[in-house]
Amino acid sequence: MTTQPEPRKTRCAPGRTHRAVSLPSSSRVLIGARRQRGGDVIGGGRAIPTRYRELRPGRVLSPVPGTAAMEFPAALFPAYFSAGPPREEGGPAPVAGWGEHGQVLEGGPGRRQGKTAFVPRRGARGERWEAADAAAVPVLLPSAGCWFPSPAIQDIVYRSGAGRKLRVGRSGVTLDFARQLGHFFVDHPEDAFGSLGRLLHKNFYLGNSKLKRPARNSTIRMTALMEDIDRLEARRGCPRQHLASRLRWFSHLCRDWLFEVPLGLLADCLHEELMQQWSNLLFDDSFTGGALAWLPPEDGATPVGRLVHPGGQAMNHLYFQDVVLEELPRARGSPQQFELSGRIRQVAAARVDGQDFVGVRSDYHCGVWRVLGKTGAAPTPLQVIRTDMPASCLTVSPHLPGELSVCTQSGTIYLWSVETGLQQLRHDPQTMFFRDYSPWRWSDFTAHPRVLSCADRTGLQCLDARAPKRCHFDLFKVGEEAGCQQGERVVLPMYLGRAHPSQYLVTTQFSVYVLDERLPLVPVLKWAHMMEAPPLFAHLMPGKPGRSHKVLLGASRTQELLLMQYRGGSQSACQLAGTPQKLHNIAGCLQHLPTQLPHRHHLLQQRLTAPAAGLAAMLQEDGPHKSMLVFQLSETGDVFCQRLTHKAAQSPAPLSRDEATTAPGSSPLFEGPASSPQGLGSEEEEEEEQTFYLSNLEVIVDEEEGTPAPMEEAELLQEPCASPEPSSPAVPSPAAALRYRRWLRAFFRTCREPSRHTWTPSLSQRRLFTHRDLEGPAGPSSLHRQMRQRLRQTMQEGRRIQRWEPLALQPPPLPQTLEPAGGPDPLSTRLTAAWAGDWEQWWEERTSFNMAQRQRALRERRRRQKRAKGRRSLSASFTSSLTYQSELSELSDVGPQLLSPSRPPILSQEGSPPAGSPPVHSLPTSPAPDEALLSSQSLRCRGIPKERRKTLRDYLSVWAEGPPEPPEPLGSQASQLCIPSSQSQLSSASQPRRKRPRMGF
Amino acid sequence: MDSLLEEEDEEVPAVVGKRRKRRRRRSPSAQAALQPPLCLPFLPQLPVSSNEHKLNFTKSKEVCLRYIQDALLQKQWKRAAEFLTCYVEALEKDYSREHIGPSEMIWRIGTEILWHHSQSSMKEFSCFMEQMKTLGVKRYLKVCLEHVFHLLCNGQIDEAYQNLSLAESWRFGEQTAIQDKEMKLIQAYRGLLDYHNWSKQKNILLENGEDGFSDLAVEQEMHGYFRKAAVNLKEIIKIPGVWDVFVKCYVDLLEFYGDHNEAHQVLNEYAYNSKFPANPNAHVYLYQFLKRQGESKKSLISALKILHDIVPSHELMIDFNTMLQKSKKRKKRRLGLEVIFTALDYAGWKENAKAWSCLARQMKQIVISEKHLDWIKQEWNSRKDWWPAFHFSRYLAKRNWQENKNLSYEKALVAGILLGKDCKYFKYVSHQGCKAQLKRFRMLKKFVNRHNLVYLRISGPPDSSVQP
Repeated sequence: MTTQPEPRKTRCAPGRTHRAVSLPSSSRVLIGARRQRGGDVIGGGRAIPTRYRELRPGRVLSPVPGTAAMEFPAALFPAYFSAGPPREEGGPAPVAGWGEHGQVLEGGPGRRQGKTAFVPRRGARGERWEAADAAAVPVLLPSAGCWFPSPAIQDIVYRSGAGRKLRVGRSGVTLDFARQLGHFFVDHPEDAFGSLGRLLHKNFYLGNSKLKRPARNSTIRMTALMEDIDRLEARRGCPRQHLASRLRWFSHLCRDWLFEVPLGLLADCLHEELMQQWSNLLFDDSFTGGALAWLPPEDGATPVGRLVHPGGQAMNHLYFQDVVLEELPRARGSPQQFELSGRIRQVAAARVDGQDFVGVRSDYHCGVWRVLGKTGAAPTPLQVIRTDMPASCLTVSPHLPGELSVCTQSGTIYLWSVETGLQQLRHDPQTMFFRDYSPWRWSDFTAHPRVLSCADRTGLQCLDARAPKRCHFDLFKVGEEAGCQQGERVVLPMYLGRAHPSQYLVTTQFSVYVLDERLPLVPVLKWAHMMEAPPLFAHLMPGKPGRSHKVLLGASRTQELLLMQYRGGSQSACQLAGTPQKLHNIAGCLQHLPTQLPHRHHLLQQRLTAPAAGLAAMLQEDGPHKSMLVFQLSETGDVFCQRLTHKAAQSPAPLSRDEATTAPGSSPLFEGPASSPQGLGSEEEEEEEQTFYLSNLEVIVDEEEGTPAPMEEAELLQEPCASPEPSSPAVPSPAAALRYRRWLRAFFRTCREPSRHTWTPSLSQRRLFTHRDLEGPAGPSSLHRQMRQRLRQTMQEGRRIQRWEPLALQPPPLPQTLEPAGGPDPLSTRLTAAWAGDWEQWWEERTSFNMAQRQRALRERRRRQKRAKGRRSLSASFTSSLTYQSELSELSDVGPQLLSPSRPPILSQEGSPPAGSPPVHSLPTSPAPDEALLSSQSLRCRGIPKERRKTLRDYLSVWAEGPPEPPEPLGSQASQLCIPSSQSQLSSASQPRRKRPRMGF
Repeated sequence: MDSLLEEEDEEVPAVVGKRRKRRRRRSPSAQAALQPPLCLPFLPQLPVSSNEHKLNFTKSKEVCLRYIQDALLQKQWKRAAEFLTCYVEALEKDYSREHIGPSEMIWRIGTEILWHHSQSSMKEFSCFMEQMKTLGVKRYLKVCLEHVFHLLCNGQIDEAYQNLSLAESWRFGEQTAIQDKEMKLIQAYRGLLDYHNWSKQKNILLENGEDGFSDLAVEQEMHGYFRKAAVNLKEIIKIPGVWDVFVKCYVDLLEFYGDHNEAHQVLNEYAYNSKFPANPNAHVYLYQFLKRQGESKKSLISALKILHDIVPSHELMIDFNTMLQKSKKRKKRRLGLEVIFTALDYAGWKENAKAWSCLARQMKQIVISEKHLDWIKQEWNSRKDWWPAFHFSRYLAKRNWQENKNLSYEKALVAGILLGKDCKYFKYVSHQGCKAQLKRFRMLKKFVNRHNLVYLRISGPPDSSVQP
């Protein structure tokens, strides 16, 4: 099978690139100029309000490996232990994680003499973290180039069958197989019917008319078939199938031989692909681990970290972007960029001996980069490996520099050392504890640098790299040991070494477990996370002694972000601290963006709700101020971030603040633009907020019209004096709103191209012409207006329109120009003359008139030829003109429709009235526009300097060789350009013969 | 509420049944494979072309639940509480056979809200719990247990005890396996509280005993508590599980009444019964018990040896190593070296000065005596390819020197012996030490220089002379 049918949405594969195309429009030029000013990254340094600048980020909490003692808690929480497969029946348990202490244990900080105190396994107080802003804020501008939305559910699923909510364990969906197959036939006709189509195309008739006798024997009229198909569509579900007999007959006849690929085979392949897409849509594990890494700054060094993320149209570019940690993290400088040969699935990083090692996994390649601890040090690629099977995991050792572990979907686990190469630890296509079909494998490091954990969907094992066959033990099993549910599977294991050297995190689609490798199989912590999609990403932020460790869980499809805290592991038993907390996701900022036009809103929604692809976070400590920065990456390469601030007071009555954050915008109940001023401090603040939003709207509108946004500067000035602390995160802070605006502007700039689907190559002329050159009035609409006017008038007068084309542009009264104003028409004159008996005289007059006319035409032509040779003074050309007066008068009013200087007016060869004959406008019959552009005269008259003309001509000739251009108003636009500069010359050159009847004779 | 709910645009197509059936018939094989590779907790909502907007009861229930969940995850307790009052209606038609029914949901959500709601009080909480207990028979014990946990965490031990006694006496037909387990836990916790009462009485008696006055009634009461506690605790620790608290209490009781055999047996069972999980604490308790009993070194060592086999990175390995180092037997000293080397393999021990000093001391002994260099050689063989990068890098030398001079001294000694005087770690530390004019670092340098040949013997190819 050579051609793989794809669902419609994905047919523009991300790898397929085409040049940034397009015809210039003035707004583009302006945007381009602005972009140069503002830099490519959001927040080019000028938009940071002063109050944020004062906030100097302090020491960044860095992982201190190995400081945790190897103490084991003196007593663990009580738990039953039994072996075997899970007995608890699984099912949707939307609230399973709430309201349970689990177990209690003596001890805890509040222990007093004589009185025993108990601590719960869950429900202990945790640290209080509050979002500093109303929504996540973009860190980077959307990358240039078009973006391909991944297939959505409605693309794949048969629509009307998709009514019910999907239920686990029941197949409630039907894949829309027929539609996809149809798309394939339409999109790839060559692959579908190539050879037979060519052979038989004479026998297919596509016209509307009835076929004549001889042809009828060997030709099929397709139009009838098409009509039948349409009728069938319209009557979907109608049981009267026999109406489609012709279609049946046709398909019966052709099914076996018409298709290039046998239909059955094609259908199988398509079906397979559809299933693949569908299961990927539900759960795509290729992004496990996440493709976003944060390299924190060195201790006490400058507050500049580095974000490692994929980007580009095919997500195959690796970026190392410096990020300055301010109130809103800001990208600094342009990123270091590496182009890879496949879509980046995972980016993993670990810091060893002050150097960061960054592992990058794509399907068949894995690579490792080294970044020295110094800020600004260039990342060095160290090594790349290629795998035969897609790799499913890549983790970087936190112990030894240049060591990684790699898993492939064939069930092989390698220890990969940059110095010594690959060492295969295990090869087992079977899963470990029971049979599961998923080829997904994972591996990570443990407290012992030579012991690696390896995981599949059924559990985790630890094996010693020095003797992998002999030395291994089970760390986690999906089974009764850990109290799992039926159907529960391992989704992401992670080594929590930075929190405690022997701790491990295992997430499943239902629960999250913390394991201690010193007590294998029995989770020291278990909690039902209640996330809607399995957590594919996790990030650990270790807490200092006495403080809780924070674990962020992230899901892909739903973009969920969940912050949970736990403490213990060495001196005290592990316990969950505080309640889990939902963080803002990327899609959440949609409601805070300025109102958009519906189609833009849809586009924006599609972009912002794209599945998440990665997660990174860091803790930042500045004296008493502790905050947390969370970065989230989406599949489209957008990186958003949010800051959470630590509220030190653990007062038991935080209600007032708490309820203040009950922002209407933050709940699903009120999904409108956040407009409530609730929680804003004073009236002044409120006012400022409003003006801000107003101006916000203005800028967006301006942008659409392509004029520069004058408000921006004013706002920038305004911003620093904005309210110092918007205590309620119901609306985004001014700085955040500015970010949104910039991001939006860049986003709509990038997605303008794909929305038009101009696939034909065309060249940007932005650099060749100034925008003024290319400016022009809207041609077609005026043309239409004229047409319509003419039609109306003709109808009123009860006449007919003989020719649309040349006359199209003439003012309607043109046919009458010959006649003296108010005189009778020729027919009546003639009849009158005949009636009177002097018809002959009338004839004489008539012919002599025609003679004069012809003479005038000849003269006209001669004059034009002369003029073509060179310029002449205006007056000289009018010496012999009969229409001297009228022409002068014409000069004084240069109308909006003017004349193409490059096209010699064509004389009418018919006997039509001469004054009407020269087509004064070249637009309707305009040939390839480059022709017009290429003529040196036209170039000159456009004021293009001599030295550029050659370049331009070469440039345009390339263009001319390309496929035919879709009709663009270029020619007309170009022809208008020179009006201001060379008005007199132009009008003389074209010698307009247009006369207004009322002004002439 | 209803008006709010209507915003949700979940739609149910009304007339798709027939069509779907037909399509399904066409591709039966497809349907089987349509399941996601993973059993997902929630499946995505499908966009629907139908325009039906009707909300039925189930739907609004679901929507309400989602709002509650959203509020809970954002810590908006008040809002969640308001929604919960609406959700209570869900109890009316509770025919669901879901994994977690509405009554359980109300219990869980209500508990969570009452934990955090600023205006809730213990009284209200207890009241709510009492209501929840009556909501479901199957869940009675679980709710009781959770109620007790909450009381315990808030220091209301007596109320907790009452609740436990009440729950213990509860009977309802046949018990399921889970209920059986819960009942055992309730009894065990009651035993635990009995133990606490016992120890309270014991303390009173001991204090009074110093005065030479003994209260018979108190003693009686104490013995009563002992009996109650012992019965319950003994039950639970027979069942496989992690019962650290209960075992400790039970052993304490037994020890007080002099039943050392029983205590030893319990601890042995807890540590060595293969049905129990490999809990390091079980071994630790046994070891501590043996130590308290003044058992022989040999039995102590054998207890620790097993712990070493299970958890080579356990903190007791230091004690184990010192114990073994002191031993006269060559074999044990050999084991001691292995123990300390293995412990230092783990990232958690990396910066533990005590462990490094143990290793340094033993290695120094060996080097000075020039006997058993092959021990070091054997240990080093499996580590020489990664220890230098793991422990002895220049970066670590700098950092250790800055953070902990003691640690860097011990590590430098080990590095000097294992890798010779040209090793980066040793060079850096000895240089810094000499610069800082610290005497012991000069001694260290001298020592390593004197014994530099050892390094060649250790790292050289295995030759017969070194083999044991």
